[in-house]
Amino acid sequence: MERQEIIDGLVEILKTVRTIDPERLKNVTEETDFRGDLNTPSTELINIAAKAEHKFGIEFEDDDIDDLGSTVKDIVDLILKVKARG
Amino acid sequence: MQVTGRKVAVVGMGGAFPTCTGLDDFSEKLFANKSLIRQWDKVAQYGKQIRSTVSGYITEEEMGLEAVIAPIAEDYPETYIDKLGRIPDANLATADMGSIWAMLGAQDATKMAGWSKSEIESEQTGVVVGSGGAGNLILRIAWHHFFQEGRKARIAGSHTIDRTMFYRDAANISCLLKTKGVCEAIGSACATGLGNIGYAYRLIKFGMQDRVIAGGVEGSSVETFVGFDGMMVLSKGFTPEESSRPFDLNRNGFVCSFGAGIVALEEYEMAKARGANILGVIDEYFNNSDGDGDMFYPSFAGQQRMWKGLLNTRGVKPDVVKVHGTSTPAGDAIELLSVVDALGDSGYHISAPKSQFGHMLGGAGSVEFITALLMLENQKVLPCLNSSTLNPELETFQKAEGWAGPQNPLAAYRHLVPQESFAKEINSVACLNYGFGGTNSAISVSRDI
Repeated sequence: MERQEIIDGLVEILKTVRTIDPERLKNVTEETDFRGDLNTPSTELINIAAKAEHKFGIEFEDDDIDDLGSTVKDIVDLILKVKARG
Repeated sequence: MQVTGRKVAVVGMGGAFPTCTGLDDFSEKLFANKSLIRQWDKVAQYGKQIRSTVSGYITEEEMGLEAVIAPIAEDYPETYIDKLGRIPDANLATADMGSIWAMLGAQDATKMAGWSKSEIESEQTGVVVGSGGAGNLILRIAWHHFFQEGRKARIAGSHTIDRTMFYRDAANISCLLKTKGVCEAIGSACATGLGNIGYAYRLIKFGMQDRVIAGGVEGSSVETFVGFDGMMVLSKGFTPEESSRPFDLNRNGFVCSFGAGIVALEEYEMAKARGANILGVIDEYFNNSDGDGDMFYPSFAGQQRMWKGLLNTRGVKPDVVKVHGTSTPAGDAIELLSVVDALGDSGYHISAPKSQFGHMLGGAGSVEFITALLMLENQKVLPCLNSSTLNPELETFQKAEGWAGPQNPLAAYRHLVPQESFAKEINSVACLNYGFGGTNSAISVSRDI
């Protein structure tokens, strides 16, 4: 799975989070920070992770989420790592 | 301790009412003797699993709301969309349906009160609002996915707690309006709505707050309905509009309903000084417990003590007694006889709003308090619909040894129980609500004259 394909999927998830301003989703890159750039409430990050599991057919370890950074790159890396883990 | 000379005014009201577009519609329908009770298809779909199918329910659509169903958990409303743009998304994210009604009611009540932004956001403005149940819809689906489906706890998302915690209604109102005073919820089962208003009254009367947003809520919930249906205490066998029939000989249970009632209370002199429209002045609040060890059965002695406490300081007879009047066989008879025991058999009338919209549980006391304010405003008594026949025979407990209450059957008090709304001078209304656990609550509210 290509990194851009994952980013596109993440943006689709982010569009379902009503507390994120849709305007901020027009130029999401790997460097975009969920907290700093998208102003995502901390309580929504866990919802985004759960939806990512569902969308990409994977299951994160609890430690993966505990250690997860706040950029799009961080979650793209994690998704690829979990997929590779199988 | 009460602060001498400090009084409490009601300056605003709002809420969520079955089949109604708002407070004006609610008032119009009530005084037109209409019933707000309908067949509830959402419970009727369960066929023989369910015993009663009528309710004063409110749908999401009727409140201008739309559920956003989570893609990862079937049927789970992960948040709601306010199609009328009244509540910001960030506040909707932390609210269950009842909490949204509470926020909408608080917006309406504070708008009617005419409080400024700085008054609302003051340390002297509190919020005291509670519910009878938890956020049952949210909990059921979250728990189902964890316990039955064996899925991760996070599948239900990160808002299960804030959307179901006991004081979620007060918390959501406070976060929405940014109040800085007391923020709490009082729970007393079906007396919750009145109990929260009573507690708010004391906060102002005792000098601890100048303004309090107060009330009770019960969001539409099949889960809650099922709980009472399982107790076999819900009305059965009548058309929807005839199902709630307080004091009627053929009553066989209450109608499980839902709604919200929020009022804005303010220290009287402050309200007068700024020229507020005063909807009523709270004369007294008194609450107690039966103390007989019985969780469910009402207590004549407990209600006698409640009346003594309510009337003790004033001794003024109300023009209307807004009763709890649930339409249950045991509760209504004891309540009517305790009212007669306290007030005699003339000079007042009895109003039973549950006859029109059913029993809103945690919302009952506050929505019915609003009906008392509407009676003061309109100078009309709301009826006791369907009280067609009062028992011409003595109740069984009246024949028991040691009974010290009224010696006449309920039918002797027919003249106190109107079946239709009518006009009369109303200066004072007594509001009564009781709850499981033997809790009894009473408020006296009067016109500002």
